[in-house]
Amino acid sequence: MSFLALTLLGALLTLDGVTVGQFMVSRPLVAGAVAGLVVGDPVTGLMVGAVLELFLLVSVPSGGGRFPEPGPATVVGVAAAVWTAGPGGVALGVAAGLVLGWLGAVTQSMQRHANGRWVPDPTREAVTPDQVAAGHGLAIALDFARGALVTAVGLTTVLAAGPWVTRGWPLSAADTRGALLLGAFVSLGIVGRTLLAGRRWVVLALGVAAGLLVGWVLP
Amino acid sequence: MSVVPPLPPAVRRRIQLRAFLIQGSWNYRVMQGTGMAFALLPLLRHLGLRDGDLEDAVGRHAEHFNAHPYLSSVALGALARLEMDGASPDTIRRFRSAIRGPLGALGDRVVWATWLPLCAAVGLLLYWAGVGGGWAVAAFLVLFSALHLTLRFRGFRLGYESGTAVGPRLKELALTRRAERGAVVLVFLVGGLAGLLLTGDTAMGGLSRSWSAGAVAAFLSGLVGGVRLWRPTALLTVGLVVLVTFFGLRAG
Repeated sequence: MSFLALTLLGALLTLDGVTVGQFMVSRPLVAGAVAGLVVGDPVTGLMVGAVLELFLLVSVPSGGGRFPEPGPATVVGVAAAVWTAGPGGVALGVAAGLVLGWLGAVTQSMQRHANGRWVPDPTREAVTPDQVAAGHGLAIALDFARGALVTAVGLTTVLAAGPWVTRGWPLSAADTRGALLLGAFVSLGIVGRTLLAGRRWVVLALGVAAGLLVGWVLP
Repeated sequence: MSVVPPLPPAVRRRIQLRAFLIQGSWNYRVMQGTGMAFALLPLLRHLGLRDGDLEDAVGRHAEHFNAHPYLSSVALGALARLEMDGASPDTIRRFRSAIRGPLGALGDRVVWATWLPLCAAVGLLLYWAGVGGGWAVAAFLVLFSALHLTLRFRGFRLGYESGTAVGPRLKELALTRRAERGAVVLVFLVGGLAGLLLTGDTAMGGLSRSWSAGAVAAFLSGLVGGVRLWRPTALLTVGLVVLVTFFGLRAG
């Protein structure tokens, strides 16, 4: 039952990514919380979503570029973390999220090529309102189907891989968290790099100091 | 400036709702072109265009167009005004060509490069500070939607009221300068997030010093290496999970 619900959620979040609305509910932080609620573990859902959000902070759906697709990736990542027993579950969830993000990007690019074939070409023919509505509607329906397919493939894969990870994962929960956050720190550094200009490094240093202080003070 | 012709509320609402689907059929040939035509269909029908005239109008709006999806509403508003004013097809085509680049660049800078990461950083800070996941998600969505929906709805109105003069009106809003200020706030938040993750108990705080040293090195490598390091980092993370599991299975 949750497999079907997650597949539907992945498809809906795929639409939010670019095609319908772009309300950003497909961002990992939000999608992780929603997927967590669907599988009955919002705490794990939020944790996987927060780690993936750190990784994907540099990824935005800009123009025609190829970027990791966060919605279905986060849904599969959360499912992997909840369905797989032990600390390896979160590791599998983050890894699956990163792979699915890439798979989503590749299939999105393929669909964009295909869309060009069924939307009317005004340089070649007279374009009727019906052609516009039909081409547009078909493209949205196919994006929904693509999202469902990507999510279903991801869920099936993590269901198969889960038992292996449970048996083989040797790290404690704390060390698993440390290993996964290393990559997230690289991503944070990259975001900082894209913004550094002039004397902004002073602002960055002040931010780091404030963050360290808050981390020490907080219980 | 000429008198703004009244746009029936029902037509305006339908265009604004359809604007949420502007990228529904995004493709490498006409990009958002079909989405623009789809969004403007209620207006073209309201104008009473029929047969060949309607097909011509739909065709010119279905031609290549690409801008930031939220700021496309500004273009939709201005194009709706041109159609209401009975502007010539050449004028409409020239205006579409002239406005798409600036709207794309402005939106990329304001929304994708600044506002989205800024709102995500606020959500992440709240989450890792232990304020509560629900608050983190709510803060992100409320903050982000405030600008998103403003650009969509007020942008359409601005475009419709301004017509071809929408460029100067957008300049008056000084969005680029505001984005510059937002980027400074974002730099501070990114630094704050790195510091909080290093010391917070829910992140690196409770771990051994070697993890903290690794995290500092990772942050610095991202600062130095920039965006070309993102893909290798993601691959390394996935590879690490696979290899640790593989050797764990062999050892166990």
